Amino acid sequence: MIRAPFVLLFALAVLLGAGPTAAEEPPALQAEVDAGTLPPLAQRLPRVPLVVDINRPDWTIGRYGGELRTLMAKDRDIRMMVVYGYARLVGYDDKLQLVPDILERIEVTDSRVFTLHLRPGHRWSDGHPFTTADFRYFWEDVANDPDLSPFGLPQVMKVRDRGPRFEVLSETAVRYTWDEPNPQFLPALAGPSPLFIYRPAHYLRQFHSKHVGNEKATAQAKEAGARSWAGYHQKKDEQFRFDNPDLPTLEPWINTTPLPSTRFVLLRNPYFHRVDKAGRQLPYIDRVIVGITDDKLIPARTGAGDVDLQARYLRFDNYTFLKQNAKRNQYRVLLWEKAIGSQNALYPNLNVEDPVWRTLLRDVRFRRALSLGINRHEINEVVYFGLAKESGNTVLQRSPLFRPEFRSAWAQFDVKQANALLDSLGLTQRDKSGLRLLPDGRPMEIVVDTSGESTEETDILELVRDSWRKLGIALFSRPSVREVFRKRVYSGKSMMTIWSGLNNGIPTPEMSPNELAPTAQEQLQWPMWGQYYENNRKGGEAPALPEAKELVELYDNWRKAGTVAEREQIWLRMLEIHAQQVYTIGIVTQALQPVVVQDKLHNVPGDAIYSWDPGSYFGMYHPDTFWLEPGGPR
Amino acid sequence: MLQYVVKRVLLMIPTMIAISIIVFTIIQLPPGNYLESYIAELQAQGESVDPQKIAFLKQEYGLDKPLVEQYLRWAGGMLKGDFGYSFEFNLPVSKVVGDRMFLTIIVSSFTILFTWAVAFPIGIYSATHQYSWGDYGLSLLGFLGIAIPNFMLALVMLYFANVYFGTSIGGLMGPEFIGKPWSWPKIVSILEHSWIPVFIIGAGGTAGMIRKMRANLLDELQKQYVVTARAKGLPPGKVLRKYPLRMALNFFISDIGSLLPHIISGAEITAVVLSLPTTGPMLLAALKSQDMYLAGSFLMFLAFMIVVGVLISDLALVALDPRIRLSGGVAR
Repeated sequence: MIRAPFVLLFALAVLLGAGPTAAEEPPALQAEVDAGTLPPLAQRLPRVPLVVDINRPDWTIGRYGGELRTLMAKDRDIRMMVVYGYARLVGYDDKLQLVPDILERIEVTDSRVFTLHLRPGHRWSDGHPFTTADFRYFWEDVANDPDLSPFGLPQVMKVRDRGPRFEVLSETAVRYTWDEPNPQFLPALAGPSPLFIYRPAHYLRQFHSKHVGNEKATAQAKEAGARSWAGYHQKKDEQFRFDNPDLPTLEPWINTTPLPSTRFVLLRNPYFHRVDKAGRQLPYIDRVIVGITDDKLIPARTGAGDVDLQARYLRFDNYTFLKQNAKRNQYRVLLWEKAIGSQNALYPNLNVEDPVWRTLLRDVRFRRALSLGINRHEINEVVYFGLAKESGNTVLQRSPLFRPEFRSAWAQFDVKQANALLDSLGLTQRDKSGLRLLPDGRPMEIVVDTSGESTEETDILELVRDSWRKLGIALFSRPSVREVFRKRVYSGKSMMTIWSGLNNGIPTPEMSPNELAPTAQEQLQWPMWGQYYENNRKGGEAPALPEAKELVELYDNWRKAGTVAEREQIWLRMLEIHAQQVYTIGIVTQALQPVVVQDKLHNVPGDAIYSWDPGSYFGMYHPDTFWLEPGGPR
Repeated sequence: MLQYVVKRVLLMIPTMIAISIIVFTIIQLPPGNYLESYIAELQAQGESVDPQKIAFLKQEYGLDKPLVEQYLRWAGGMLKGDFGYSFEFNLPVSKVVGDRMFLTIIVSSFTILFTWAVAFPIGIYSATHQYSWGDYGLSLLGFLGIAIPNFMLALVMLYFANVYFGTSIGGLMGPEFIGKPWSWPKIVSILEHSWIPVFIIGAGGTAGMIRKMRANLLDELQKQYVVTARAKGLPPGKVLRKYPLRMALNFFISDIGSLLPHIISGAEITAVVLSLPTTGPMLLAALKSQDMYLAGSFLMFLAFMIVVGVLISDLALVALDPRIRLSGGVAR
């Protein structure tokens, strides 16, 4: 009885939607709609689509059509289209605030209880309804299936080794409840390589032993050359790898080309859930063409005008070349700010094997002296044309957590103070050439391992060598390859390394400060302490410095903290410890990323940040609203 | 003769086993495995991977098994025609290689034909007109061809094509045909696009071939039987065709052994520069990312081609040159 008027209202809405006031159909889909193979727009959109309206002076409503060309270096890079497409349950907007995207809304209690509300009427790219059944499939048949997840739930879904309670409330609402706060959950959903807690159940069911029987599932897998049904299911179920054209998706463009190929064609998703202010379905661009070519040729082909939008695989030292060809090949070169904490940073290995060096590197005075002994201004001028900022390895100005004192702590060039610090350590003996001697009489020679990939690193090390010489310290660089490089760090064979700084230089208090505490083996300054945390205090070594222990405690507190204010306090304290303790020696920051944009491509912001997480590179700036004016170069 | 062939074929078996062990060992020599280099690559871009998923993949790919077991599984599979699994592409190796092998054979065959068609007449001309202006000029060109690496030539041509014609010359077919099933227009498109790579890849080989042809022919031309034939009044063209040219062809045939693997591997670096969808760039990438079954199966195939090629050229030499005998030991 009560429901009848609602049904009526809904029917009316559908009628109205189909009437003359309806937004225009994307022209590329008109033929299919006319032929009856595709339902009309109103039936393809969720009842409440996401209206994208970006408040930026240079942003305009676009026109439909065209194809966007970009280049990648490997077939596997097709996953970047999931990064650029950036359809997430919740995502960051360009102010770095988390907003619902695929979800209509989300309710969070104490960072502990998450209730997710889907958009009624939302559909997968094949037209099948997207409902909570897809969440249930992930939870019951993937994440908790002993064959598909033999190693348990994804890390971020566990708090103190315990998973959430999962409830399906209705066809459009699910709830995850943890016993303790899980502040990592939403950022994980919004990540560039997100935590997918839903699966296209209607498609994947056919590969699952529980649904088709073990015998059939195994037979199918064997026929396709996989070892087990679980492996076959996994291969079909790569929402991030994006390599299965049959897998339904929620992204703005659907990959239609199977691997391997040298040219991937992506077509618009006719069921995409976003519209512009005028109610017209996004994306504006019909097709995306991803060409595959060698990474070293990408700058050259970009300069030759072979792309409409390119940033990946372009380096700052390509800038002049790109600029030179911009006019002839009708593109513009933007410079976006990179969001890593430091373009290059030195990582003293606090877990180095050599006991003498270990004691020395663990002494904060020594690390401070090394940092003071670097002429950052000179490096900035020589290597980055003075366009970067001289800074320690900390967060960037754009982050609400930025404090100028973190940037400048121990980051000025002061040979006198550095020498005084070294003298205070009792390192006053020198050899004939003026090098200081270690307590055991060896000359003080620091070997810096590099991954051998960029000449930028070796150029910087050359300059650092000159200024450290004034402290009586010699520097040698030891290039190797990435795998060897990491192995040497993990095993304590390497004394110091050079690598980029904090991955996320623009955090908000809501984002995890895990990079600041010894929590992972991949942290080059304390791999063994990180391993200790990673393996639940079983492998590696326990942190030996009080400040490092405090960082771990702070990180654990952050994970438990219930309020934003609390988290902000923790973040600031951690950043302060980092700046004062100089665990990593940042050199310059805010280096620039060239972004090549074809002249007729609109809505690409001129002033922006280039960031993997948060941001998903272009993703945060809505590539679905980029549009092409006809008459561009071809 | 038959006995000889059987003996040679049987000898191929231990050779291939030895090669397979060497190939597998060399691929395993660099530290780490595919998953480790995969993780390292992701981390270099700031990406991270869920350790749970890596553990699953390690198990699924069998990378947690001892090396000997991995080798036996791979070698055993090859006997049954199963070349293993490519981690990078998440596909069986045979599916990854598929079309590329065919395209590579097309480009390489054309290249060889081009090389022969150009090198043959020029080599003969150079030898018969030794120290003439024509010889000097063509030799100069030949040396240039040898001295300039193919990929360099490709880069230069890419640049000029872009600057003066505003076109891109990479690729092997019109973009609309990539990934589409075979059709007549697709074949036409490939033929239209293939002359540039054929020219570039063939340039170096042609120059080398000219030099070899010239040197071999010159050796023969000095010999007494040529003088005798001339003295007896045989027309110069006939002398050339009938005797020294045939002798000079031996190197041509013994070359087959090294030509066969070229047909399927192609010029790797040049193919990378020209973005050709051939097997060369794929082999290179597989070696770099330690995609061991893809790389290993590729190298095995190349090795097989060399072994077969050498056999063919040996047999052909026997058939063509009566001076060569199968029975060893009598020559004293």
